[in-house]
Amino acid sequence: MPVPWFTFSFSDFSYAFLSVLLEGVPFILLGTLLSGLIDQFLPSRVMMRFLPRNPFLGVCVSAGMGMLFPMCECGIVPVIRRLMNKGLPVSNAVAYMLAAPIVNPIVALSTWAAFRGQNAAEFTILRLGTGYFVAVLVALAVYNLPIGSVLKTGVMAVTGGGVSDGRGPAGFFARISAALRVAVSDFLDVMVYFIFGVAISSLFSTGVNQAVILPLALNDWLATFSLMGFAMILSLCSTSDAFIAATFVAFPGVAKLAFMVLGPMVDLKLLFIYSAVFKKRFVLGLAVGIFVLVGLICVRLSVLKL
Amino acid sequence: MMATVQRYVWAGVLMVWGVVLSYFYFSGRVGSYLHPAFHIWTAASGIALVLMAAGMLFLPQAEDPCPAGECLHTPERKTLWGVAITALILIGPLLVTTVVSPSQFGAAVVMNRGMADSIADLPGYKPYTEPPLPTEDGSPPQAAMQTEPAASYLPTNQAGQIKAQTVDLLYAAQEPTMREDFENKEVELIGQFMPAKSNNPKGDRFNLVRMFVMCCAADARPVAVTVQTAQAAKLPEMSWIKVTGKATFPVEAGRSVPVVVADSVTPTDAPPESFIY
Repeated sequence: MPVPWFTFSFSDFSYAFLSVLLEGVPFILLGTLLSGLIDQFLPSRVMMRFLPRNPFLGVCVSAGMGMLFPMCECGIVPVIRRLMNKGLPVSNAVAYMLAAPIVNPIVALSTWAAFRGQNAAEFTILRLGTGYFVAVLVALAVYNLPIGSVLKTGVMAVTGGGVSDGRGPAGFFARISAALRVAVSDFLDVMVYFIFGVAISSLFSTGVNQAVILPLALNDWLATFSLMGFAMILSLCSTSDAFIAATFVAFPGVAKLAFMVLGPMVDLKLLFIYSAVFKKRFVLGLAVGIFVLVGLICVRLSVLKL
Repeated sequence: MMATVQRYVWAGVLMVWGVVLSYFYFSGRVGSYLHPAFHIWTAASGIALVLMAAGMLFLPQAEDPCPAGECLHTPERKTLWGVAITALILIGPLLVTTVVSPSQFGAAVVMNRGMADSIADLPGYKPYTEPPLPTEDGSPPQAAMQTEPAASYLPTNQAGQIKAQTVDLLYAAQEPTMREDFENKEVELIGQFMPAKSNNPKGDRFNLVRMFVMCCAADARPVAVTVQTAQAAKLPEMSWIKVTGKATFPVEAGRSVPVVVADSVTPTDAPPESFIY
């Protein structure tokens, strides 16, 4: 008797669901704690000191700043807005915004951990490298755009004006309290998305007969673009998405790579968050451009046979 | 007022997560869910979450760190219903699955994922490479000097049978040198029973399955060895059994496959480590 394409078992679902939650939570927690501490203890002028004035070098350095100042994609938009208020060029801000959720030590650690035994080093290097490359390319394209077509009018009015952050309570314990509050906020917000993402992926990984999706998974183009669409819907946090990507055992490595590079740059929740700072038309163009770019690069990387 | 309610609710959510993670670690249940490398992270997170909950309750409260509309940090702008629903999403699935989860997969997942019956199907497998040639002065290469009889490194039970894992026999089927260690030797294997739905014309075969895990149960791959018995075995699917018998490696469909010709098949308890890594 042939196996049906879908079989739901709540006990299997709950087992897979719980195992991914237990595995991913430590990394989300680590990321959000760091994010809270950076938010309260790192003045934005410290970041500005690192940046060269040359536009190309500025973009390249900004895209790598996540290694020193890691942020998750959920909390990065307020940070880049504050940095732009301090005078950071928009192209540098976009480079940091797109790259930092991928090119940072926490994501490197979680990707390596999730893919241990499955070419972990290759996946980690390619994820960070591809993320960096895409962020630089997009930021250089943004450099050539008029600022009026990128930023919302209200944001543009204060950009580069040297406006003070005017935030951050005085006193060590008050700052620790504020950092904890940011971390808890980030953690709870990310966990809501993570729980939905884990539920969908657990349903997929336990219920769907892998033989049915094998034809999709066997074609690099189909597999890559279908997992990218999945990444957009799931809207996972970059510190934990590798654990879900690693469960797509039937899919080729490049499709998993595309899933992990696209998700932290463009997903459904990020489209809403980006719209707080950028014009809607720009956000749409950014999403389409990154989707196509990541897809083409990752399919091209299929020669590596991950 | 709303801010105070939220503070207590969020602290409660963190406390529940912290207690559940700590429970999984200290009860040992985490061993059925994660690779050992991740166990300590579960404990650390559980303790950290409990401390964060305490910090939420007892540290002096700071102002809202995010300006309105710029980010997702909008706790003070939620209604009581919003807070209640968010809290339910955050702890409901965790508590329900903690209670319901059987700490092992059922037969449906094994059927959906398919059973790996070749070592090449598993992640991390590196094909066999020839040993190095002798050195110029005629002395044997280092790798060759390390060879020792199989009996000295393979564990055995009290009856002298080799205590093998399913994955050992898959390696042996693929690697000629390793096959010598097992071929026609008495072995003991522990695994889960699954009926053989193919390659079983006489109805005297079943599959002995173990879950091969890289990180957590969600990425588990069922690894199967065929067991041949004198008469058809009738056991519950995915029940734990101990098989003793002779390891053979007949050529079927053009490749060597491991088949254990069983002397005995007996129900047993799940081993302390239910996964193989």
